[in-house]
Amino acid sequence: MAALPKRQRLGPSPSLAWLFLAPALVLLAAWMIYPVVYSLFRSLHDATGNTFVGLANYGAIFSDSATLITIRNNVIWVVVAPLLVTVLGLIFAVLTERIRWATAFKLVLFMPMAVSLLAAGVIFRLVYEQAPDRGVANAIITTVHDAFAGSQGYPGARPRENDAAPASVENGAVVTKQVVRTGQPALIPLVGLSPDAVAGFAPARPASGDGLTGTVWIDTVRGGGGTVNQIDPEEKGLAGMTVEALQGGAVKATTETAADGTFAFTGLPPGDYQVRLPQSNFTAAFNGLTWLGPTLITPAIIGAYIWVWAGFAMVLIAAGLSAIPREALEAARIDGCTEWQVFRKITVPLLAPVLLVVFVTMIINVLKVFDLVFIIAPGSVQPDANVVALEMWRVSFGGGGDQGLGSALSIFLLVLVLPFMAFNIRRFRRDER
Amino acid sequence: MRRSAVLMIAALALTAACGGEAAAPTPSGSAPAPAAKPLAGTKIEIAAKWTGDEQASFEKVLAAFEAKTGAEVTYASTGEDTGAYLGPRIEGGNPPDVAILPQPGLVQQYAAQNALKPLSQGVLAQIDQNYTPYWKELGSAGGQVYGVLVKAAHKSLIWYRAPAFEDAGAAEATTWDDLIGKTAQTLADAGTPPFSLCGASGWTLTDLFENVYLSSAGPENYDKLAKHEIPWTDPSVTTALEKMAQIFGKPDFVLGGASGALQTDFPTCVTQVYGEKKAAMVIEADFVASSATQSGAVIGEDAKAMPFPKAGDTAPVVLGGDVGVAMKDNAGAMALLEFLASKEGGDIWAKEPGYLSPNRNVSPDNYPSELTKQLAQTIISAGEAVRYDMSDLAPSAFGGTDGKGEWKHLQDFLRNPSDIKGTQEKLEADAAKAFKE
Amino acid sequence: MSHSAASFGRPRVRVMDRVGSGLLQVVLVLVALFWLIPTLGLLVVSLRAEQDNNSSGWWTFFSKPAQITFDNYSNLLASGFSSSFWNTILITVPATLLVIGIGAMAAYAFAWIDFPGRDALFLVVVALLVVPVQIALIPIAKLYGALGIFGSVAGVVLFHVAFGLPFAIFLLRNFFTGIPRELMEAARMDGSPEWKIFATIVFPLAKPAIASLGIFQFLWVWNDLLVALVFADTGSQPMTKALQSQMRQFGTNVDILAPGAFLSLIIPLILFFAFQRYFVQGLLAGSVK
Repeated sequence: MAALPKRQRLGPSPSLAWLFLAPALVLLAAWMIYPVVYSLFRSLHDATGNTFVGLANYGAIFSDSATLITIRNNVIWVVVAPLLVTVLGLIFAVLTERIRWATAFKLVLFMPMAVSLLAAGVIFRLVYEQAPDRGVANAIITTVHDAFAGSQGYPGARPRENDAAPASVENGAVVTKQVVRTGQPALIPLVGLSPDAVAGFAPARPASGDGLTGTVWIDTVRGGGGTVNQIDPEEKGLAGMTVEALQGGAVKATTETAADGTFAFTGLPPGDYQVRLPQSNFTAAFNGLTWLGPTLITPAIIGAYIWVWAGFAMVLIAAGLSAIPREALEAARIDGCTEWQVFRKITVPLLAPVLLVVFVTMIINVLKVFDLVFIIAPGSVQPDANVVALEMWRVSFGGGGDQGLGSALSIFLLVLVLPFMAFNIRRFRRDER
Repeated sequence: MRRSAVLMIAALALTAACGGEAAAPTPSGSAPAPAAKPLAGTKIEIAAKWTGDEQASFEKVLAAFEAKTGAEVTYASTGEDTGAYLGPRIEGGNPPDVAILPQPGLVQQYAAQNALKPLSQGVLAQIDQNYTPYWKELGSAGGQVYGVLVKAAHKSLIWYRAPAFEDAGAAEATTWDDLIGKTAQTLADAGTPPFSLCGASGWTLTDLFENVYLSSAGPENYDKLAKHEIPWTDPSVTTALEKMAQIFGKPDFVLGGASGALQTDFPTCVTQVYGEKKAAMVIEADFVASSATQSGAVIGEDAKAMPFPKAGDTAPVVLGGDVGVAMKDNAGAMALLEFLASKEGGDIWAKEPGYLSPNRNVSPDNYPSELTKQLAQTIISAGEAVRYDMSDLAPSAFGGTDGKGEWKHLQDFLRNPSDIKGTQEKLEADAAKAFKE
Repeated sequence: MSHSAASFGRPRVRVMDRVGSGLLQVVLVLVALFWLIPTLGLLVVSLRAEQDNNSSGWWTFFSKPAQITFDNYSNLLASGFSSSFWNTILITVPATLLVIGIGAMAAYAFAWIDFPGRDALFLVVVALLVVPVQIALIPIAKLYGALGIFGSVAGVVLFHVAFGLPFAIFLLRNFFTGIPRELMEAARMDGSPEWKIFATIVFPLAKPAIASLGIFQFLWVWNDLLVALVFADTGSQPMTKALQSQMRQFGTNVDILAPGAFLSLIIPLILFFAFQRYFVQGLLAGSVK
């Protein structure tokens, strides 16, 4: 390494250097070098540590389905998270150049860096809570969703599930089983709404008249009892329910129920019909996403990770940005380049070294991600969100206590960061030159 | 609850401090110097999984021990995964003095690792005096007694919210078919989701399975399956899973559906029944009482429990328990275990909601409700048809670890109740692995 | 990357800033809100009673500010959480000071003393920058068990010092080599002993770098969970571990977690705002770990 400049022989003797280095070298040797050697050795032995098993532990990493999920998750993390962090950092860095309150903005985005990943995990546990009246993520999503497609009607209402029930569910809609004749009011008893939910509703009444009529009501009484499939005095009608009259599968007319649950089609020719309550009457309220469920858990945690690290990327990139000669940009603009062209053709290439550093730093960091997964993923979902760094801890110190496998996992982790170790060394040697 | 416990501990600390001052050399007159504080100045660390109100209840017992012996006890919460907490500490040669293990399976495991200390004569004397052989056996490994069953659980109960039953006109069920066809259906029709499942806490699902299995397959099969003498692919397991699917497979029956249930842990599921009043029943052990009380319910009035209905020929009684073990061999650890095994300690604990003692000499009058008294009786007698929680006896990798083995596969089954065969195969694969080791 | 680059600020208002500037402002305000809301949520949740948190979202506090109560905090402190707060300080302060001291000595040797193998040895330090903590958990647990310091504050501190050293040496050596050679040579001509040059010339000059290093190390140690999880016991556990043990599956015990998490992040935040300039400099100088 010709990198370090040769200094004049004025300094003290080399032995003094060792004195200065001694404490650091002892610590590094005992806490970092020795563990690598020991882990290598230990990874070749079984759980008890007494039996040499060769590479069996490494084989187990790649054959156990749970560990393979872990590795898959790590791949997702490495592919997605560093890229998103870098891109977002770049966008923010460029955009903040154009606002007056850039300092405040940067501080806000940068702040999560000071927060422990544990606290960040607790924070995002709260954000991702399922109930829209508690978790802010679902609160926002459901508010937006409801603004476009509100939920109305009676989610949960349904006919009884037995042969005696006059109606049944078909493709989400409630359809009468028997034909309904004009002049013979149809009864469509529903259940599934609690007495409290219908407490304020008007009492149901039988329909009358010559046309196609009927009643849609909740056929239960507080405290049980009441005659099944018949309108009892205390039972409540369902108002505003859309009702369709069908003949031969085609909708002939549509109407709505009144407050007492009755409906009447006007102007229908006498005959046999089927009455249908379309699915729109029963659309369940949208309850947001199951962030902490097995499908979304990894994206959700990556979201939290981006929250923590985007500020870091932004600050580094902004510093790189401020080092770009303004003249180059201005010249391009004068030449008639659009902002986008300037960004793509000049800014990004000039920033490339910084972007690479941010990107690589993030990859190294992502490989070691532990706390966020450990804290955000609830235990029952953790197998779906698991990553190598966490699995290593679990295997070694959790219920099973297999430190042979744990050591193999830690060596595996070390191997994963080796390319970036080489990258750092290369970069360092180049900088020194 | 929690606040009052904190206050009480603070008050005890205060009195202790005052005692200390009084004991300082007073120039004249009465030297109180209570002689009976054999452990003054001894520090004891005890680790258990309880948090929240269960922790507060237990700390009252510890406070009594401190007041009696003068020892200073530190409570350490291990979090949900006791094994993960103790593992590194055992490895590093620095375990807590006493640990309360949530599964007897861990006693076997740690005994095999030589991480447990044999109990002193004093503790053994208390055990012989207060415990039936059944309970003594559960704390033993390889013929050596290592553990004291400090807390028992009666797991064959279905708790319900009486007003919800009244509103819907639902009644207690004595058979599984009635539970599904009548009780649950009536509740669902009346717009109250019948069950609040604690799907996120895998052990609640294993408890449900064990009740259904013990009842439908009978005690003999239960014992065989517990020892893995019959495989999990056995038809008797199929039957039990089919019965569970009668609940899992009906979205109307489960508060929040399967995905909601899988995001609900214990005791949130209890809060949903008694606090938020969103569902009618929660299938779990006697200790539901603690969280129910916390949610403002009165045991025996709005919070009632029915025996787990028969899903076959046997009326199931499944028990569980927590085992206190010594991880260091010192006087403090032994004295604490002796206290926990004694009538004195049990009497104090029994006054708290959500506690059952396996100690036969704990006076039933201590229990806060009639129901608990009855349950305690069942537990102490532990007759022929009574079985211990099978997942707690299994190696913990199979029966007691988050995201693994039985916990995981039953959770997956809750998510996808149509896949009975696949569930059985996965259970069998993990069981084979765990029991081989 | 050089560490001369600037910190926050210096917004550049340019001619091109007209089109869509309003839109840009709105978008960035939204982004900033996006970053603020989660932490704000934690703060508000920590200030509401458990029943309130169970029954309604924290944002309802805007319409009903009377919900605010400090009960969660007083309960938390009464429950013995304060001892873990002290443990965090007992771990963090020595770990930070030791890393600065030991790291500075080594960095000085690397920067200003010629010795055989220096360059190769320094490359080893650069290589160690990325070694994951996981590799040392099992071996060091064994070692601590043998030494009898498992579960002690000292064990946790030493672990943090060792893993903080590569970055410390790297950062400080880069800074030290930037010190004008004339200064050093003049001092050596005067016959000052090496330790004196180190203590009176280099160390004071390197204050900004040391501040950067200090704040980084402080944050790393303060915020660490994994090392504490393995090496601390109940008596020596810092806040992170104490809080972790209170985690539940899908918790209702936010009345402990929220105030605890907020207490744990308040000191780092204060430090961060007070020393953000150094923080950024440190970041620019050694973005490798």
